[in-house]
Amino acid sequence: MATDHREAEQPVNTSDSDFQEDVEFVETNCVPGKCNSAVFDTTDELDDLTLNLANGVIQNHRGTITSLIRKRAKRSNTLKDEEADQDLANSIASEEANSIEQSELSSELSEDENVKNGLEDLSLQDTESVPEESPSVTLIPSSSETDYVNSLEWKQQKKHIFILSESGKPIYSRHGSEDKLVTVMGVMQALVSFVQDDKDNLRSIVAGDHTFVFMNRDHLTFVGVTRGRESTQQMLLQLTYMYNQVISVLTHSTLVRTFKQHRNFDLRRPLSGAEKFFDNLLNLMDVEPGLLLTSVRCLPLDSSVRDIVSQTIVQHAKVKDLVFALIIAQNQLVALVRMKRYYLHPMDLHLIINLINASESFKAAESWTPICLPKFDATGFLQAYVSYLDEECQSCLLLLSVDIEAFYTLSECRAKIKERLDRYNALTAIGNSLQRHSYSVQQCSIGDLRHFLYKARSTAQYTSPELGPPYNTPEQQDRLFGLYHFLHDKVHSVSRPLKLLYHVGKYETLLGWVTQGFELYAVFGPLVTKNVAIHAVNKLLRWIKREEDRLFILSSVTF
Amino acid sequence: MSGAKVDIKVVLLGKAYAGKTSLVERYIHNRFSGDTVPYQNVITIGAAFGAKTVSVDNKNVIIGIWDTAGSERYEAMSRIYYRGAKAAIICYDLSDRSSFDRARFWIGELQKHEEGCQIHLCGTKYDLIAENPELRKIEERETAALAQDVRGKVYETSSKSGKDVALIFTNIASDYLKSLKNTEVEDNKEYMVPLRDASNKRFVCSGCKI
Repeated sequence: MATDHREAEQPVNTSDSDFQEDVEFVETNCVPGKCNSAVFDTTDELDDLTLNLANGVIQNHRGTITSLIRKRAKRSNTLKDEEADQDLANSIASEEANSIEQSELSSELSEDENVKNGLEDLSLQDTESVPEESPSVTLIPSSSETDYVNSLEWKQQKKHIFILSESGKPIYSRHGSEDKLVTVMGVMQALVSFVQDDKDNLRSIVAGDHTFVFMNRDHLTFVGVTRGRESTQQMLLQLTYMYNQVISVLTHSTLVRTFKQHRNFDLRRPLSGAEKFFDNLLNLMDVEPGLLLTSVRCLPLDSSVRDIVSQTIVQHAKVKDLVFALIIAQNQLVALVRMKRYYLHPMDLHLIINLINASESFKAAESWTPICLPKFDATGFLQAYVSYLDEECQSCLLLLSVDIEAFYTLSECRAKIKERLDRYNALTAIGNSLQRHSYSVQQCSIGDLRHFLYKARSTAQYTSPELGPPYNTPEQQDRLFGLYHFLHDKVHSVSRPLKLLYHVGKYETLLGWVTQGFELYAVFGPLVTKNVAIHAVNKLLRWIKREEDRLFILSSVTF
Repeated sequence: MSGAKVDIKVVLLGKAYAGKTSLVERYIHNRFSGDTVPYQNVITIGAAFGAKTVSVDNKNVIIGIWDTAGSERYEAMSRIYYRGAKAAIICYDLSDRSSFDRARFWIGELQKHEEGCQIHLCGTKYDLIAENPELRKIEERETAALAQDVRGKVYETSSKSGKDVALIFTNIASDYLKSLKNTEVEDNKEYMVPLRDASNKRFVCSGCKI
């Protein structure tokens, strides 16, 4: 893999192994936010990605919805026509999908360094992919399309994401209308298929300060171009989120079936109206560390209040076929109740949060919409009942069921839940917590600590303080996020994963620490010493431990 | 899907951006946000449900309104919304020819699957037409002819000004009350049967073409 090794600004001292002897770390058996009963499906997406690099395919959970529907049909003893149809369709689709995946597998070969080198040359000369340096190279005839691609505004975007079909049809572009990018996408398609001819896969190209990352999946090509701090691996994760978003709208079965029937199909038609989900998801990725960490952020709430909320849901939404019930407030999870034996994956939860976050329409009325959760079951839709619980539209209730007719039942549940939560002042408590904005880093009362991300691995949840000075401007926040990308990449590097990383930069000192139980990324002032940093981190862990009931959901509630 | 506490189930169908949600917003909340909020932000996801009580002839009727998403991918789901609906409001944008073709498609669907559903054709965004008559892409006589074929009613509404919006729902409610009084529909009896038989096939075909 061609990875560009870019350091944080002028590293003074980067060490990762030599200081374990002089300072003692806190015992790791009291991991804050640790929980024995699983709250989420905790398979880490980064592991999946590594697997993906080796095998080419991410294994999706399949048939969960079908089996739930079967169970339901068996219970009512009347297998209705359409359900049978759906069952049939699902099983056919999954068979199709399986056979296709196998063929994909067989054509996958390991990386070849020569091809890679050849490609870098290609990208530099033929595709105008290094815009600043080579404006004179114009292989493409000049037209309005190329004018647009050559416009400063388009070129200066920090990150581009494209989706195109196997036959090179444009489907989505982050910046600019995909209509105007037909030529550029054609070039991308040419690059990808050129390598595929040699039974290989194009993964990434580094050109100047741009990194191009390619991902092929289910007849679609995802391309990410960045000049930010994201590593190839991290870009791949972002592209995987985009792929999941496509699946979430269409289901894997439909996607595969559609392209099997018409290779030339214009996927923009079924995706029309969903563009803003892609835009919004990409915006979320730039500001929300949860997607990078594949973990969930919980709204800080007294555990007694959270108990009331989840118990209320359990009591008043005890409806058959209801798989997940959750309340989300401003992109944070308030409570989650699940059906026994079924878990929600953080990646799926991010798609749900994105659905709520991107859409104003839920604020107007109760809604009923199909949504596919790729990690839960990529072959079918769950039906989502969505409604805000308060006038200000802060707390959003979602009830996910396999019963397509359940709307009115769930609407009644919502009325009961709202009434109960009002009576116990739980909604006010949620509102108060939102108003207080999480917590400031000063509350941890640790000197030089500026900001941190802490992920409890066993619960797939993370916590971090709000962004205070000096990270109170968008530029600085962007920079901080870049630092986290850098730190995260170094710690999770495929070739050389690290347990500890102490990095002194020009403006701040970074400490990354990964154990079995947690991942911690801490940002200090630039003058902090190693000793101080380590003491601070130990103190921080103790603080998080003290606050864990408030910051994390530690008990898994089921119907 | 049939509503528990609702007297009449009404479904709104039509092309994306035809103005279905605005119509419901105007009717239920008496507000209009089309000028301030970019329409991409409020595009309906799945379907939204709202209810309103109307009183006609001193009788209260609860109308449950299903505001469906116009995007094509939800088409497969739409059946669960119009199943058992007493009335369907089929919206088309008076300034957009393609939305009228889409309306024909929905009429075809309804006639195929939900014969008992009264059809209300609703041209939207009348305020645009009133401002600039050249924008009109669908003539009144065209819709009138179509409406007669399907025994439906025609409205030209503006959610911005509120023109004729409440009228549709009041008519739906009074139709419902009438049908309660005399279970068999007497008004349209003479020409109801032959026309439907004649028109049935034709509209299915025109729907399939689209």
